[in-house]
Amino acid sequence: MQINDQCISAKIWADRQWVPLAQAVVERSCPAMGLAPKQTGRLTMAVEEIVMFLAGTSPGTAIHIEIIPGGWHVKARLSFRTDPSDLWAMNLCPGARVAEDPALTHLGLVLASRMTDRFSIRLEGEIVRLTLRQDLKYPSVEPEAGEYLVPKGQLSIDPNPDTSLVKEACIRALCLYDAHSLHQAFFKPGKLADMVARQDMTMAVALTPAGEVAGAVCWQVGAGRSLTFFGPYTFETGERCAALLTEHMIQRAARTHALGLFSGRATSDLPRTDFECLGSLGTCDKQMKIWYRHLGEDPGTSVWSHPDLIPFLEKQYRDLVLMRQIRPTQDMGEALPDRSVISSRLRPKLSEAVLVPLVGGRNMAGCLLNHATTLTKEGYESILFQLDLSQGWQAALGGIALNTGFRPRLILPYGGTSDIVVFEYESI
Amino acid sequence: MSCLNMNPFNAQSLVPDHVRAFSPYYPSKPDTALMQLYGVDHLHRLNNNENALGPPPEVGALVEQFPRAAVPVYPNGDCHDLRGVLAQRFGKGEDQFLVGNGSCEVIASVIKAFCTKGDNIITADKTFAVYEWVAEFSGLEARLIPLKDLGFDPQAMLDAMDSHTKLLFVCNPNNPTGTYWDREVMTNFLDQVDNRAMVVIDEAYFEYVEAPDFPDGMELMTRYPNVVVFRTFSKMYALAALRIGYLAASPEVVELIRRTHIVYSVNTLAQQAAVAALSNDGSFVTRTRQMVSGARTRLCELFESMGLEHVANQGNYVMVHLPVSDTLMYRKLMTRGIMIRTMTGFRFPNWIRISLVQAPVMEAFCHVFSQVMGEISPPEKG
Repeated sequence: MQINDQCISAKIWADRQWVPLAQAVVERSCPAMGLAPKQTGRLTMAVEEIVMFLAGTSPGTAIHIEIIPGGWHVKARLSFRTDPSDLWAMNLCPGARVAEDPALTHLGLVLASRMTDRFSIRLEGEIVRLTLRQDLKYPSVEPEAGEYLVPKGQLSIDPNPDTSLVKEACIRALCLYDAHSLHQAFFKPGKLADMVARQDMTMAVALTPAGEVAGAVCWQVGAGRSLTFFGPYTFETGERCAALLTEHMIQRAARTHALGLFSGRATSDLPRTDFECLGSLGTCDKQMKIWYRHLGEDPGTSVWSHPDLIPFLEKQYRDLVLMRQIRPTQDMGEALPDRSVISSRLRPKLSEAVLVPLVGGRNMAGCLLNHATTLTKEGYESILFQLDLSQGWQAALGGIALNTGFRPRLILPYGGTSDIVVFEYESI
Repeated sequence: MSCLNMNPFNAQSLVPDHVRAFSPYYPSKPDTALMQLYGVDHLHRLNNNENALGPPPEVGALVEQFPRAAVPVYPNGDCHDLRGVLAQRFGKGEDQFLVGNGSCEVIASVIKAFCTKGDNIITADKTFAVYEWVAEFSGLEARLIPLKDLGFDPQAMLDAMDSHTKLLFVCNPNNPTGTYWDREVMTNFLDQVDNRAMVVIDEAYFEYVEAPDFPDGMELMTRYPNVVVFRTFSKMYALAALRIGYLAASPEVVELIRRTHIVYSVNTLAQQAAVAALSNDGSFVTRTRQMVSGARTRLCELFESMGLEHVANQGNYVMVHLPVSDTLMYRKLMTRGIMIRTMTGFRFPNWIRISLVQAPVMEAFCHVFSQVMGEISPPEKG
């Protein structure tokens, strides 16, 4: 598929008088990019709130706005200069500070972060790049009971299934696998089909000689130089389909930029000999093993770590036979932003939340604990906290994680810029 | 001017789509860095199919006596003397050879000479990757034909041809499976190609082959004007560090490839070492073949005793199929001073390739490999 995205961009300044223009840019462009009126309204309001917020906190600063179509979503990216710790109100749990702010300056950020499907903040030197994503509307499909095919004849692989095959595979997987084994997009087959068409997700399907879909596996580019896979989903009895799909996936992944394949949602059909187990996440009754396949010859690397985390890392690296030089780092009273910002990715259906620090401020311990307790109260059973060990400031947060009830569970080799350590919240 | 007032720099937008989509290849770190990383005081290199006996003695003498005064002088731009020696050796003209900085360079020259946007090349899916890579980062389609019984599939390659097919790459014997087309299969294939496209026969491991029915590309090109033969000094002649390889074809074809070939890319020492290597390849080649044959027998016995599927054909390498990930095996062997080649990147997941070298090193490999296999626990249940 030829992807020819046409982006819209505008440059304004952080001042109330420019708000109508910012609104118009979003309002006029999003419908042309496929966004429904309700979703367009949400993204418009989110952008408006951010411009208003910057007009209050960084008046006159230049704001570069880009509206970027993505086939199944539209992104609004705003680039500007500000103190990144001022973005604390975008935290899922901004705490009591919002109410303490008499001018309610930060309330707009709270609203903006809630109105969109996902947001991310990236710092490039002094420039903040804030991206808000709004997904297109797709109908959901509820799973029904399904039946397995009886193996008949040789299977073949379709490496680039068309939209109809993707939707068929998606619906069959929904019928035969529980929610814990599926990527969220499987619940909206049209969305998954658009993701595949846009190459935001890759899917391969196994076909019977009669052209029936006998199985599928999919994968997408993860953080850093990794791929995350989902499946394999097999719709016939026996092991051959899973083995064929898995081998196909590894062969395709092997000549990409990726250093490793991680299971996002692995099924019990995954051939274990092809993968290494990194550990488990989740509660006792809903434990999920994370599987890993190194795709090349490990060149080794160095990572940062808080001193208290080093014993855990040493054991993990020894067990995985991964060569790492571990360099200790911790907070030694150097200047830090006052406030922290944490990104939260929630999967309510699976009762899972993933927290990633975006700005490491002085209040990180309270901020992290606040997130964990709030999410626990809301019924989240698996609350994960991820740190990229290539970043000294993130690695140094390992001590805070340990002291706020998080336990290190596993390492994702090259899961980010370097390795990622994954903590899971237990309690204080 | 502040950064925000300038257009944002986006290097990605400046490169063609096919370059943006291509993934760079990162070779492994130097041995010293790897040894430090893996905490070993030695490293047996069984990963690159180098000739562990080293080059013929004539090359050693040349390297030791290489005059300092030659260092600031540019090399001969098109390897004049070496081409003369090659011409004499193969009974051809000097204008039938083109020398490159390793055969990878001549692969690029051939593709640049014959292909333009919309053209395609045909090769196998599980072979030396550079044909595919150069085509793809040049914006050309690489049609990859699945191996059949671990060998190139001639009929499927012919079936994949169309009017835009310019080059067919045949790695003979194939790296990494060691399979080869015999004289009959090769000539049938060339007959059916019928001069519609160039056929590149990569004979990097030619000097290792002892099979009597193996076709000699140098001879084939006299009957088939569309044949280009690649050979290298990196494998049998052990000049890998000097990077030197060459192609041979008809004068007309070589003249065309010269147009896209960089001159002065082969250094003086490499040119002279290649000449020296060719001055003695009788006893040297025999000794190397004996070493390889003994090593092959030893490894096959080991793999058979362990019940492991393996592939041992022509060339100075064998492949074995593991009950675990090849990349995990690599790490485990590295911690014990053995470096092999993982085959996932060749689209053979869970296979490793081992270079065939001297008996003591093969014994060390067998010992360590058996140890590691003994430590591998059966796969965990989901």
